[in-house]
Amino acid sequence: MSTQRSRPAVDPETRQRVEAFIYRETDLLDTFALEEWLDLLTDDFTLSVPVRASRDPGSEQDEFSSRSYYLREGTERIRERVGRLQKEYAWSENPRSRVRHVVGNVRVLDAEDDELTVSNNQHVFRSYGDKPDHDLLSAQRHTVLRESADGFRIADRTVYLDHTVLNTKNITLPLL
Amino acid sequence: MATERSDPDRTDRLVERTESGLDSGRFPMEIINDEEVYQAELRRVFARAWVYLGHTSEFEEPGDYARRYIGEDPFIVTRDENGEMHAFLDSCMHRGAQFCTAETGNTSHFRCPYHGWTYKNDGTLQGMPHMNEAYQELDEEEIELQEANLATYHGLIFGRIADEGPSLTEYLGDFTWYLDVLFNATEGGLTVVGEPHRWEADYDWKTAADNFSGDSYHVLTTHQASLETKELELGPWEELDDYLEAAYLSCTDSHCAAYYLSEDPDTHMGYPDGIEESMHEDLTPEQRELFARSVFHFGTIFPNTSYIHGIQSGGWGGPWVCLRKWQPRGCGKTETISWWLVPEEFADDESFLDDSHSGWNSLSPAGAFESDDLTVWEGISESSGALTHELRETEGNMQQGMGGMTDLTETVDDPVYGPAETTWQGGYFDERNSRMFYQAWCEMMSGAANPEGER
Repeated sequence: MSTQRSRPAVDPETRQRVEAFIYRETDLLDTFALEEWLDLLTDDFTLSVPVRASRDPGSEQDEFSSRSYYLREGTERIRERVGRLQKEYAWSENPRSRVRHVVGNVRVLDAEDDELTVSNNQHVFRSYGDKPDHDLLSAQRHTVLRESADGFRIADRTVYLDHTVLNTKNITLPLL
Repeated sequence: MATERSDPDRTDRLVERTESGLDSGRFPMEIINDEEVYQAELRRVFARAWVYLGHTSEFEEPGDYARRYIGEDPFIVTRDENGEMHAFLDSCMHRGAQFCTAETGNTSHFRCPYHGWTYKNDGTLQGMPHMNEAYQELDEEEIELQEANLATYHGLIFGRIADEGPSLTEYLGDFTWYLDVLFNATEGGLTVVGEPHRWEADYDWKTAADNFSGDSYHVLTTHQASLETKELELGPWEELDDYLEAAYLSCTDSHCAAYYLSEDPDTHMGYPDGIEESMHEDLTPEQRELFARSVFHFGTIFPNTSYIHGIQSGGWGGPWVCLRKWQPRGCGKTETISWWLVPEEFADDESFLDDSHSGWNSLSPAGAFESDDLTVWEGISESSGALTHELRETEGNMQQGMGGMTDLTETVDDPVYGPAETTWQGGYFDERNSRMFYQAWCEMMSGAANPEGER
């Protein structure tokens, strides 16, 4: 066991607020309450999903690309995506996927001024139509939460996937 | 009506049926999802065609390597210490173990994890443990990794398993005229940026290759949701009056492309100012004009390489070049590998790269456009495997653009459109390129063209 435990960055009450926020926010994605979810984003929000590549064991380069992303968009385009998914001919979500995030290891990595950087692990299950098979996306999210008058708002999020080749036909917003 | 599958010539008959049906714009649905057809494709198409392996800009330093595939066979593409490119089967010549442990990297040697046989990155044997005690009579020269034939065209690296066959330039034929306008448009050529998108799903490689050969017709329905963006600002090129009318199709013997052209001779695919001065001196005036008037083009190099060069993407970004490989992973399974390329001249222009990345990203598995395609393609694959299609010999339809079907298109012969057969306004009303794609498929799949002993 490590003896060099760093001091918790936040007090228990804040930690509890963070966890409650992440659970609620994730539930909005699972239930496709995307308009409500949008309200939790700051205007300068960015969502990034970097490509992950299997590199030579001796490589000093990180597995996560600094150039290529599956998705990297700000609030305006994220809002457009939400509108897009409401359309009946957005075939990727018609019929709508059944999505379930299982979230764990919620940790506050950093606290600075009015922002907290929070990490959580997740398995996202998705089934579609009347098929017995399913997709499973495993990832770690890093989320920057900013204090506002109405509680936390999400100022930034990076989703670090555990896949070098995705085993799904597509990734829509609720799966992240 | 067939009651059981015991016919050894079934694949040949299906190929013959496909070939004869194309004259009337029909094809047997079952070829899209059939284990026997797929196994024949691996031998007759993928082992004999020039298959795309990568771009030279991914292998700039000696020792750079990447694992890539010909058919389903795992090859390692390397640049050796003398700068020569190779592609070796990832299979040790001792007992067949795999020795490449990553997708990309840099190494001077590959060491097999089983017994330690070690190879230089030019494929020759370096040595093995206890060489002096255990291999006193071994002919070391004889031990060499299985190497694919390799050839490049403007940075595009192709590999072939079969030793016999046309040279790469013969194989590409007249289509090189169009490849020049994309991959050799500027003095610096194109360069790969970052790492490719990779995702696997349940669809057939032919569905994708055919779609990219010239199917604009599907955009209206499949991508309706993405085209109706409300909040995003469209670029000037997307509000051109003649945007849709300017669509035309072209194709050569085996490879196909579709273009959207503006009457405006200064679109230059929306690249930043200065692109005109960077144009490659080898381009003819006609090729320059084609590039200068382009707003969008895409195509398929037979069998499984496609590209798309977009000026903008419904407000989602651009311009960008996306080069992709439809990597077969079994019958009815395909991995899409999708690279992002930019002209070398703009490779350090961060503001350009941001826009270009957004355009490329609209075709990622999370992209506003791409995410709808695969839902459709998976359904095609599942239902094309239906027994009903086999028992009833059902035929699908690709009759657009055939005699009497439309009076909106016209065949045109203009040097600016290159050497291919070209249909003005063919984008939505002509399936000529699909018929050409399947014609090429029939030629490689037909028994007559088979190399010895491969039936």
